[in-house]
Amino acid sequence: MNPYTEKAESVEEWLSLLRKKPELMENVTHWHTQPARPARTVPLPDFIHNKLAYALGQKGITQLYTHQAASFRAVQGGRHVVTVTPTASGKTLCYNLPVLQTLLNDDTARALYLFPTKALAQDQVAELQELANLMEADIKTHTYDGDTPPTVRQAIRNAGHIVVTNPDMLHSAILPHHTKWVKLFENIKYIIIDELHAYRGVFGSHVANVIRRLKRICRFYGSEPQFLCASATIRNPQEHAERLIGESVALVDDNGAPAGEKHMVFYNPPVVNQQLGIRRSSVLESQKLAALLLKSGIQTIVFARSRVRVEILLTYLQELVKRELGTKSIRGYRGGYLPKLRREIERGLRNGEIRGVVSTNALELGIDIGQLQACVLNGYPGSIASTWQQSGRAGRRHGSSVTFLVASSNPLDQYLIQNPDYFLGRPPEEARIHPDNLLILLDHIKCAAYELPFEQGDSFGEEKLVDLLEFLAEEKVLHQVGTRWYWMEQAFPAHNISLRSAAQENFIIIDMTEGHRVIGEVDRFGAPTLIHEEAIYLHEGVQYQVEKLDYPEKKAYVREVNVDYFTDANLAVELQVLHVDLETNSGSLVRQYGELSVRSKPTIFKKIRLRTHENIGSGPIHLPEEELQTTGYWFSFSEEETAKRSANDMQMALLGLANVLVHLAPLHLMCDPMDIRVVPQVKALHTKRPTIYFYDRYPGGIGLSQRLYEIHGDLLEEAERLIQGCGCLSGCPACVGPIEEVGLLGKELSLSLLQGTRSGS
Amino acid sequence: MSGLKERLGRLRAASAAAPEAPKAAASVPDGSLHPKFASMGVELYENEYGAFLLRRMIFPFPYRHGHHDLIDLAGCAARLTPIAARQNRAADTPAPHANQLLFLDTETTGLGVGTGNVPFMIGFGYCTEHTFVVEQTLIRHPGEEKAMLAYLLSHLKDKTHLVTYNGRTFDWPVLVNRFILNGWRRSGPEPGHLDFLHPSRALWKNTLPSCRLGTVEESRLGIRRGHDVPGSMAPVLYVQYLNDGNPEHLHGVYVHNEKDVLTLASLAVHFGQLLDGNSGDAWLSEAPAEELFRTACWLEQHGSAEHAERLFEQLAVREDFGDGGWAFALAARYKRAGRHDRALPLWKQTAKQPKPPHCRSSTRMWSWRCITSIARGS
Repeated sequence: MNPYTEKAESVEEWLSLLRKKPELMENVTHWHTQPARPARTVPLPDFIHNKLAYALGQKGITQLYTHQAASFRAVQGGRHVVTVTPTASGKTLCYNLPVLQTLLNDDTARALYLFPTKALAQDQVAELQELANLMEADIKTHTYDGDTPPTVRQAIRNAGHIVVTNPDMLHSAILPHHTKWVKLFENIKYIIIDELHAYRGVFGSHVANVIRRLKRICRFYGSEPQFLCASATIRNPQEHAERLIGESVALVDDNGAPAGEKHMVFYNPPVVNQQLGIRRSSVLESQKLAALLLKSGIQTIVFARSRVRVEILLTYLQELVKRELGTKSIRGYRGGYLPKLRREIERGLRNGEIRGVVSTNALELGIDIGQLQACVLNGYPGSIASTWQQSGRAGRRHGSSVTFLVASSNPLDQYLIQNPDYFLGRPPEEARIHPDNLLILLDHIKCAAYELPFEQGDSFGEEKLVDLLEFLAEEKVLHQVGTRWYWMEQAFPAHNISLRSAAQENFIIIDMTEGHRVIGEVDRFGAPTLIHEEAIYLHEGVQYQVEKLDYPEKKAYVREVNVDYFTDANLAVELQVLHVDLETNSGSLVRQYGELSVRSKPTIFKKIRLRTHENIGSGPIHLPEEELQTTGYWFSFSEEETAKRSANDMQMALLGLANVLVHLAPLHLMCDPMDIRVVPQVKALHTKRPTIYFYDRYPGGIGLSQRLYEIHGDLLEEAERLIQGCGCLSGCPACVGPIEEVGLLGKELSLSLLQGTRSGS
Repeated sequence: MSGLKERLGRLRAASAAAPEAPKAAASVPDGSLHPKFASMGVELYENEYGAFLLRRMIFPFPYRHGHHDLIDLAGCAARLTPIAARQNRAADTPAPHANQLLFLDTETTGLGVGTGNVPFMIGFGYCTEHTFVVEQTLIRHPGEEKAMLAYLLSHLKDKTHLVTYNGRTFDWPVLVNRFILNGWRRSGPEPGHLDFLHPSRALWKNTLPSCRLGTVEESRLGIRRGHDVPGSMAPVLYVQYLNDGNPEHLHGVYVHNEKDVLTLASLAVHFGQLLDGNSGDAWLSEAPAEELFRTACWLEQHGSAEHAERLFEQLAVREDFGDGGWAFALAARYKRAGRHDRALPLWKQTAKQPKPPHCRSSTRMWSWRCITSIARGS
């Protein structure tokens, strides 16, 4: 350490200083070190085009990493390929090499690149153009997205060798106008799908259907392209790729890229209130660690889970290091920043002018920002896969890097911080999609019929296509003539189908305090409890009261207020089992998987005083019932187990258990915690027994609860471990919930219910 | 999973009971023709790709449609050369000749030029030596499309130009989609375009409530349609026909499409005569000054400087100032030409207007303010 500037020479030196600070080290629950890994390379394959070899040589590449060579060979062998490698392992060459090789040999060949975001597409074009220039080859690479000026679109359609776009553009602009893309579709050799792991859940299910449509159009024009996919580390890359593209793929996961030594430090903020189990804020602790790193001159990225937290952390950090670094060298990065600003920040990070950045998961995808030295995660990012992705932002090929995982007080974070081996010892989550979700599938069959008529014997997904076509014909969407089905509506179907929003119609919130200003959105399922009339809606720390909820128009009109209470709505949820698909009976426990109808209706709301939490009034809510048909999984306790405790105790036990499970479920699923719901019922309609239900919060389900049904045993085991391991006395927000909610015995009751079940099974 | 049908059934219940319509027309119409079609003058036509319906009408010359007689097409067609030159990039497009024009209008099942938009009726007209012929093809279901398109292609063969109303961006691209979808790649030169939407906008944008074909023909070509089915209803009527197989739904569509094609021919005569300096004395004295001015500019752009000058001269004696937009623009034109003697009276006139002329250009707005303040100050 330089005594005058206080700058550390290296991450190693900084870490050795950290180890000498007991006030910080006592919060470190685990310190994991991954040793450095040398590069494994092979010579350029002999079949490589000499221009390509020359261009690589100009960039200083004379050898390929093993995974790059393996995927090159697999593609040359005609296979569909998925390459799985961590951040910064040179994965783009895995697909660029075979594509450029083909284009050098065949000027008429075409390739389509798909990236989940526009920013990634632009990065890619820059890289391909650099290579094309070095090769002195006339290979035209263009992005085609919403920003492409109409004047150049036609040139791209006719003459672009490589078209780089996103699934949304493919869905709404390219496929419905495929006749303008004859050149591309007749000659398409490769379809590149990078960031494969981003296509999961509802979005992934939609994209899988867009790919079904894409393949159908390619077949029409007589082409049969190869799919080259790349994914960050997930548990099931091969299976996921195969489900997404509907073909069998070769897996390349032999990562030959080098990596420096990597430290993973688990950091739990100290407890400040033992009784209530309250820890010091993870925001403050993250900020402290980041400031220490930045002041020592270490380039650092901080990840926070929400946009608001990004802004809070950024303000704190800029203030703290203002004198040493100046505010311009610490920047924020999140969705909502304009593209130009984002490019400027990415550039600043690459050339080292920007020393620190606070980001949402927007920087988790492969945007090129170079490699930083340290990473601070404010809260568990939600999945093991994301954690590794984010942590991968720090880590150079030579020299050490460090990642701090700073736990928040939510149960999932606490579970992981106390069980680091669980995190380190297990592979990342599975990416799940459910392309045959009936609603999603029907939407895309409509789009597909618009693009080309269906014919008897065609297939589209796993379901029986003829039944679906007949259904749409009866609905007067399609018109059947003999053995063909034609699109026969005035509308343009792709316009009404968005690939990204879970519940299509959001409620917008309009502030009428001064004029009319849209301040936010609430999804359809959240609306009845959050923005009913008279509700207090919080937005960026400001209180607003809902004055009018225009339910059919999906608008809530609010006005700023200053009151000392918040509102809490009661939602009466009625679950009806429509069909049981799977069932397992273990004596003390029956668990089932199937289709559910979830009817919810808000009944009353309570006004609760801030701080004291006393109930100071209530009122009715007049809103219609909402119905959601989806898939779910549920388990019920046996009569013996039920008989052991009073109905009230059972209620508390179930509630506590549900609170734990709702946080643990995302451990196994790559999904947002809001995608899955948990409902405990002391006497369920379907089973007449105490039951806990899980369901996918998307019409028709997206495969989440099916996975939970499969790993039911692990889930309960983890729940038990979490409750037992929690340091609180009788329940806290980090386990079964606060005592105000589950009562003084909540923790004990939940645990005994669990143990009773497990011993019985 | 419960059965697919069961789940679909629940879906339907959720979407509030779809109307139970009779499932009538799902069967493929065969070689026989519904008698109601026959009474509309529609016949069954067959070629190597299958069958479709054809209605063919012959209008022997002279045939008057509104102010113009279609017999004049022969003389006017060549006058349209400047329009064709502006709309077609290729220098090798030949000059329009009456026998080589195909007047075309399609009725489609939807909007836009996506691949799912199907032209169910194609109306086209052409000149023979002594007649004007309108043919209308109709498909009874999408399966008959290929036969219909083949028929259209056979009529395109000896034609150099398509005469349309917005056909360059709509009718023709939609047809090209259909050719590709049916496995045909057209080789050889694309037909030239005479898309009359563009000249109509140039002339009438500011003086007619809209430049829809119906508005233009009624107010400028002297054509009265009486009870006409609006074009926007055509897709709905066709779906009704598909659902119950009753040809009566289509009667109005046939008439509407036929009139559209005839109006295209009438417009060709109109524009041809205009470019020939023959705008009619009545029009010269009755048309709003704004229209006179726009016409003069249009003629100038299309190489008829002489005729344009005549109209500019006319404007000097016009009293109907309107909002004065034309006078202001004309003054600017004279100033550029160094004719200050012409420009000054127009500026003075403009300066008397209580309100600025209707225009979007902020520079022009600014200079109007300057002029009025100078004029009022002096």
